[in-house]
Order: sequence, then C-alpha cells, then structure tokens
Amino acid sequence: MDAMLPLVTFLPLIGSLVIAFLPRDSRRVIWTVAIGTAVATWAVSLVLLLSFDPDAAGFSYRVDVPWIPFFGIDFHLGVDGLSAVLVVLTTTLTWISLLASIGPIQNRVKEFVIAFLVLEVGVNGVFLALDLFLFYVFWEIVLVPMYLIIGIWGGDNRLYATIKFVLFTLVGSLLMLVAILATAFTYQAATGSWAGAFDYETLRSFAAGGGFEAGFQTLAFIAFFLAFAIKVPMWPFHTWLPDAHTEAPTAGSVILAGVLLKLGGYGFIRFSIPLYPDASVDLAPIVIGLSLVAIVYGAIVALRQTDLKRLVAYSSVSHMGFVTLGIFVSVLIPVGALGREQGMQGAILQMVNHGLITGALFLLVGVIYERTHDRAIARMGGLSAPVPVYATVFGFFVLASAGLPGLSGFVGEFLVLVGSFAYQPVVAAIATLAMILAAGYLLWMFQRVFFGELSEFLRGLGHHLTDMRPVEVVTLVPLAALVVVFGVFPGLLLDLFSVTVEEVLAAVGPAVGVAAGR
Amino acid sequence: MNVDDLFAIAPLVASVLVACAVLVVDLIAPGRTRVAIAIALGGLVVVAAAVLWVASAGETTAFGGGYTVDAITTFLDVVFIATIALTIAFAPDYLAPRGLPMAEFTTILLFALTGAMLIAGSTDLLLLFLALELMVLPGYMLAGFAKGDALATEGAIKYFLLGSFSSAIFLFGLAFTWGITGTTRVAGVADALATFTAGGGISIGLALGLAFLTTGVAFKIAAVPFHYWTPDAYQGSPTPVTGYLSVGPKVGAFALIIRLFAEALAPLAADWLPVFIGLAIVTMTLGNLVALTQDNVKRMLAYSSIAHTGYMLVGLAAYASGELAGMEGLLLYGLVYAFMNLGAFAVVTALQKRRGVTASLSTFAGLGRREPWLGLLMTLFLLSLTGIPPTAGFFAKAYIILAAVESADPWVNLLAVIAVINAAAAAFYYLRVVRQMYMEEPVTEQPPLSHGRLLWAGLVVTSAFTALFFIFTGPVFESIQRATQALATI
Repeated sequence: MDAMLPLVTFLPLIGSLVIAFLPRDSRRVIWTVAIGTAVATWAVSLVLLLSFDPDAAGFSYRVDVPWIPFFGIDFHLGVDGLSAVLVVLTTTLTWISLLASIGPIQNRVKEFVIAFLVLEVGVNGVFLALDLFLFYVFWEIVLVPMYLIIGIWGGDNRLYATIKFVLFTLVGSLLMLVAILATAFTYQAATGSWAGAFDYETLRSFAAGGGFEAGFQTLAFIAFFLAFAIKVPMWPFHTWLPDAHTEAPTAGSVILAGVLLKLGGYGFIRFSIPLYPDASVDLAPIVIGLSLVAIVYGAIVALRQTDLKRLVAYSSVSHMGFVTLGIFVSVLIPVGALGREQGMQGAILQMVNHGLITGALFLLVGVIYERTHDRAIARMGGLSAPVPVYATVFGFFVLASAGLPGLSGFVGEFLVLVGSFAYQPVVAAIATLAMILAAGYLLWMFQRVFFGELSEFLRGLGHHLTDMRPVEVVTLVPLAALVVVFGVFPGLLLDLFSVTVEEVLAAVGPAVGVAAGR
Repeated sequence: MNVDDLFAIAPLVASVLVACAVLVVDLIAPGRTRVAIAIALGGLVVVAAAVLWVASAGETTAFGGGYTVDAITTFLDVVFIATIALTIAFAPDYLAPRGLPMAEFTTILLFALTGAMLIAGSTDLLLLFLALELMVLPGYMLAGFAKGDALATEGAIKYFLLGSFSSAIFLFGLAFTWGITGTTRVAGVADALATFTAGGGISIGLALGLAFLTTGVAFKIAAVPFHYWTPDAYQGSPTPVTGYLSVGPKVGAFALIIRLFAEALAPLAADWLPVFIGLAIVTMTLGNLVALTQDNVKRMLAYSSIAHTGYMLVGLAAYASGELAGMEGLLLYGLVYAFMNLGAFAVVTALQKRRGVTASLSTFAGLGRREPWLGLLMTLFLLSLTGIPPTAGFFAKAYIILAAVESADPWVNLLAVIAVINAAAAAFYYLRVVRQMYMEEPVTEQPPLSHGRLLWAGLVVTSAFTALFFIFTGPVFESIQRATQALATI
C-alpha cells in the first residue's frame, strides 16, 4: 500500500513519457495510451478512496523520503478524506476531458495529451503533498501545462488569456513561496533545527502550540491568501478567469473549472487555517465580505453575458464564492455552536459539485461549439427540437447548477447557508439572493438557447446540427450519475471528510472561543 | 617564491599553458580548428583536475598571504571552468560560418579564465586589481571579435571605454583603502578597518574610498544605474561571446565582491549594506522593466541578465546583514545561472548558424515545430530563468529568497518580496519566447540546420544540469555551505 500515493501521482507521468516516444502520426495509439493511463490512474484513485479509513485521524498511506536533508525537506505524501475526494475528482475529470478531446483536438495531439497528463501529476501532487516545499513545487508544475493548453489549443484570443492566467497565478504563488520559506525559517529559529521545518504536520502542531506570533501570522496568511484567492478566484482577483475559461479548449476549461479552482479552496482548508489560526479568525470577516461580493457580483455579471462559455465562467465566480464563504464562516462560529462544521462541509461539497456540474456544463458548451463554431447565445434558439438528447442533458445540469433540491448542487449550497445563518443571518440572506439570481441567469440562458423557433443561424447549419454522439454521452453520464447520487445521499461524501473538517476547525478553536451557554 | 607557492597556483599555470599550447598549435597548423578545440577542452579537464588536486590539500596560502585557495576559490574555479568549456563548445557553430578564427577565440577565453581564477584566490588588493584586468581585457577583445562588423566594434569600444573608466575609479578606491589602512592584504585591511570603526563612524576618506569601490564593481557586474554599456556590448558581440560576457565576467566580478566587500570591507558592512540594497532594488526592477519591451531575444537576455545581477545582489545583501545563507544563495545562483543562461544563449547560437539570421523574436516563431528539440531545450532554460520548479533556477531563487527572509534586517526582508514580484514580471518576457516557439506559425520555411556535435554535447550538459538539479541538491548545497564557511563571519 505504500506505493499507492506515488502511483496515483506519477502514473500519468509514466504514461506521458511513453507517449513522448511514440511516433507523432500514430494518433490512435497516442489517444489509447493517454486515455488508458488516465483510466488506470482513476482506478488506482478509486481503490485509494474505497480502501482508506475515513474515521482515522491524520493521514494515511504516507510516503516520507528525505529529499533535501539539510533543510529538512522531504518527499512526503499522505492522504486524508479531503485530499482523497479531490484526487478522485481530478482523476475522474481527467479521463473524461481526454475522451471529450478526441474530436476537437486535431493538431499536435501528442503534445496535448502529454501536457494534460503532466497537469494531472501536478494537481494530484498538490492534493497529496504533506511538505510545504513539495506542495509549492507541485503547485507551480500545474502552471506550465495549463499555459500551453490555453496558448496552443485555445480560441482566437488565447495568447492574451494565457499570459494573463500565468502572471496572475505567478504573482500570488511567488508571494506564497516567500511565506512558506518564512514559516519554515520561523520554525527553524524557534527550535534551532531545520528538521521538520517544511513538514506540514510538524508545522501544524507548532502552530497549535502558538509558535507563530500574531504579526507574522497576519503577513503569512495574506501571502497564502493571495495565492489561493487568485486561484479560486475570489473577487477582485477573478479577472483572469473569464478570459482563460473562454479561450481554453473544452477539456482545458473542464479541468480549469473542475480541478484548478479547487486548489485554492483546498489551500485555505489545508494550509491557511491550521497554520495561521489567529490570523484566519481575525481576517475571516474580510474574506467573508469578499466572498459575498463574488457571489452576488458573479451572478449579476453572468446575467449580462452573451457568450455561453463566459456565462458559465462567471457562474463559477459566484459558485466558488460559496466555497470561500462556507470555509470562513465555519472559522468564526464558536466551538460547540450549531452550524460550525456545516459551513466547511458545505464548502467541500460545493467544491466537488462545482467540479462535476461546471465541468459538465463546459463539456456541453463544447459539444455545441463543435457543431456551430459559435457560442453566442443570441444566435442560438429552439435547439430542443433538433437535438433532444442534448437539450435534456443540458437542462439537467442547468438545474443542478441552479441548486435544484435532490441534485448535488443544492446540498453544498444549503450547508453553506446553514453555516452562514449561524454566523450572521444577513450573510445567509445575501447569499440566498444570489441563488435566486443563479436560477435567473441559468434558466434564462436555457430558455434562449433551447426554446422557441429554431434560429436562422442554426437552421443554416442544416444536417451539421446532429445530436450527441455516443462518446459525448459517455463523458456526461458518469457526471450526471454522480450529481444524482450525491444529491440524494450526500452522506456518502460527508462521511469521508468529516474527520478532516473537525481537525481543521479544532485548530481555530482556541482563537474563536467556546459558544456561550456551553 | 617557493615550490609550495607554485602548488597553490598550479591551476593558473595549467590554464596559461593550455592557452599558449592552443596559440602555438594554431601557429604551426593554422585552421586546424578541431585540434585547437580538442587541446582546449582536454586542457580544461587538466585545469579542473589541478583545481581539485590543490583543493584536496585543504586551505592553502601562498605568496605571503597574497593568494589563498579555500573552499570558495575552488567553488568559483569550477564555475569558471564550466563557463569557459561550455562557451568553447557552443562557439564553433557561430564562428565557423562567419569565418571567425576559433583558435584565437579559445586562447583569449583561456586567458580570461586565468584572470577569473586569479580573482577567486586573490587576498591582496593589488593582485585583485591585476586579476580583474586580466579577466576583463580578453572580454574587450572578444566583444570586438567580429572585426568587420560595425555594431560589434561600436559595442566593443563602449565596453572598453566604460570598462577602463570603471577600472580607474575602482583603482582610485583601492588607493584610498590602502592609504587609510596602510596595507593591501585583505585580512590586514579587515583588521585595520575593524579597529577604525570600533570608535563608531567612518572618516570622509574611507567613505570616499568605499564609494569609488562600490561604483567600480557596480560597473563590472552591470548593476543599474551603471549598466549602460551592457545592451550595446551584448548585442553587438558575436552570440557565443554575449553568452560568455553575461556569465563569466559577471560571476568573476562577484568573486571580486566576495573577496573585497565580504572579506576586506566586512567591518564596514553596515555602511555599504544600504547602498547594495538600493542597487539590488533598482537593478532587479529596471533590468526587468527594460527587458519587457525588447523584441530581440539577445537584447532581452542581456537586460534580463541585469535583473539576475539584482537577484544575486539580494543574496549579497542578506549576507551583509548577517545571514550566511545569503552568500550560499549567491554562490548557488552564480553556478545555476551559468548553466541556464549559457544554455539559452546556445540555442540562439544554434539558430544563428545560418548567416544573416537575427535574434529577433520572429526567429523563434514555430521553432517548437521546426526543431522540436531546440524548442524543448529553450523552453527548459527559459522556465529555469523564470524560476519555475523543479528546474535549477527555482532552487537558486528559493535559496536567495530564503536567505533574505531569514535576515534580521527588515529592508532585506522587503528585498525578498521585491525579488519575487520581479520574478513574476520576468515570466512575461521569457514566456514571450515560448509563445513564439509554440503558439505562432513559422515565418521562414527554411529547412532545419544540422548542428555541431559539440553544441549538442554542451546542450545535453546544460539541460541535464537544469532539469535534473533537484536530484543532486545535496552535494551542491554541501559545497556552497563549505565555501561560505571559508569566509570569516561578517
């Protein structure tokens, strides 16, 4: 079992190395190996998810090998409920994205699949790393393949979008590097030894013992916050996202929305809060304020969008606002008070759901784009008649995204609202307003695209306007199934990471105090 | 002088002998480029062996304390030898099609190597100055190596005039230091200055001397605002020379700074630290800002090398504020920078094998498709120059930032933040080249060139170092720490 985590992390790398030596022209073989690798990785991650014990405290399946002994930097991997869920989300969306790319990606297939598999290595590494230095290395590895995926296979404005994506991400992550090094040094200065200075668990218990003074915590929290807030992305750091999403190829958008945005939320839960608990509590009101702005602003701007992909992109800003909102209301609710765990649990659920639903929506936009080479809502209309299967699936995910009870989108947002209400009813009220707006922009878009007369533009396409091909159905069915399953049995997911949530919130317990009357 | 003294300078003697051997062979059999290169590269192996042989005897002092071989000398010598060997490996592809003589080029480089190695071991102010001149004079000759080229001549003359001007200023500063301390030995100067400053405050004469010395070295490392000679000298020079000039004399000048500022002037660290903090800030920032606007890759790399000087100055500032890690970071950066920057220049050189090919951005358009290997390697070097993990450049930057973060001086802490913001900005212009290579269509339909075997060998070495550095961080970190321990603590 020791090999489990390195396997799930580096299996895609092995696959990409194999592909690197395949001849450029044998596309069939390249796609087969790529998707085979992705499916194998997915299978390993499923075994991981099913075999580990969610009730165990701390991390399982650790691998800890010294890497740079002088600074106490280790190759240290470990998995808990949170990372297991996100790794499976990643591996699932990766094979689905690759499968969905066979049609749209026609040039430089070899480079494309290599970039995609390397991306998976980086993301899985981020979720599994238990050494801050290693975490940073994986965090930055994610950047390069995504830069290439948007820049080479993207839309007309791809060059602008991709450099904007890189520069935004890099500014945040390099400041985080400074904070990581400063954190490790603070530990070294206090203990006199580099051993364990970059080790997550060591630092976490050091932080729990009050090792980091308040002023340092604030600075480090802000540096980490910038990196994560840009990734999520929170308002006002979101401006890279609509461009990147719109210009990226379909598979790129799916991974960007489905997985890369989760790196930010994961970072908040895994690193910001346990390492800098006092600063988290002090600054949480600001983060909550920004989250509310993101939720409402994203929804309002989504209402105004004329491009399908841009609309989904802005809805991401709004939906990811629920993630940060849920995380940080939990931080502020006193120990023992009602709703303390729910906020963060809802946030994690929302991360998974957003990955499934928005991933699916980007796939669906890709399906229509492939036929029409257009994404303008104004040119669509009456699609439900010629492509009924497509319309049904699209409608399903629109309802899921709008938060229809019984589908998974609802549960996450509901739990976040429970937490928000426990913190401040007015916060919950504002967030609820955004849910109404979400129903507005999603259903209005659905109506304009699918109902009414078949538009002039679509009629002109004639027999090119075909319904979904089997392979496209195959990419969407698993996502739809999961949306239903998690909507009806959210406990399946909640049980996996409830221990993680408790452990994270225990870190801020002393700072936030115990609820009155307990 | 006795036999022990000769032992200490064995690498220098070897290097001079190799230079002479190349020269003689070229006289006897002119045009036998392959032989000259073989002798030079074989000779460099001997020089490297001599360096390690001398190093194995531990710390050696010779010539009455004027020349010292310690761990820092050895480390820098290895960097210099690698720089020269790689430059020789990359040069033929550029020089041969243009009819420029390879043997003379090699000889000049080997003399420059002797100068650089002499700096690394000098513990006497006069010897330091002589060594500096021995290192930079060949640089002037190389800058104007393409005699018929007006641009090269202009760059070389600018380089020469400003270079000699700055040497004069530097010498003036040395004179002040000698006048006040009464000695030219590095250790003696440090002792004398320690007694002077014990009473607090420094005299006007000492302040003037310090100002002249700082100005002089700032010219040599091309720190802003003393960098104006670089873009012309770098752009006009033949590309392999540009690669060499951006690495060799720069690291050499840092060796001078280590001997002079970190050792002789260490007691005055509190006085020169603020100046170097200021230099670091403007050097990083301005170097990057100007590099952003360049559309010639050679010129862009020239300006970005100024920014890299700034990062190295951050390490120096951290050291001056009392963090040994700062010096370790500076040494590591010098080593890594030599490999990644020479690698990047080697790709430019390879493309310019065809005469008339400029280094403009459009030269790189579609390179990823035309010559996949060159495109891939260039991407690697550019990512390393940006500082993206897991490349070597990332570790070098992280080391320097760590040192700056560790410092007790809040201004040095601030340098860490300024450095990373600069690193992020640098991504913009480095990735512009990647964009050309992979995201633009080729403008020319010329068939790919066949590149020399030596060039490929050099590229294999530089890229292996850059890509696989993360595996062998242990021994490298150990050697930079050993080197730093050789310095008296500041």
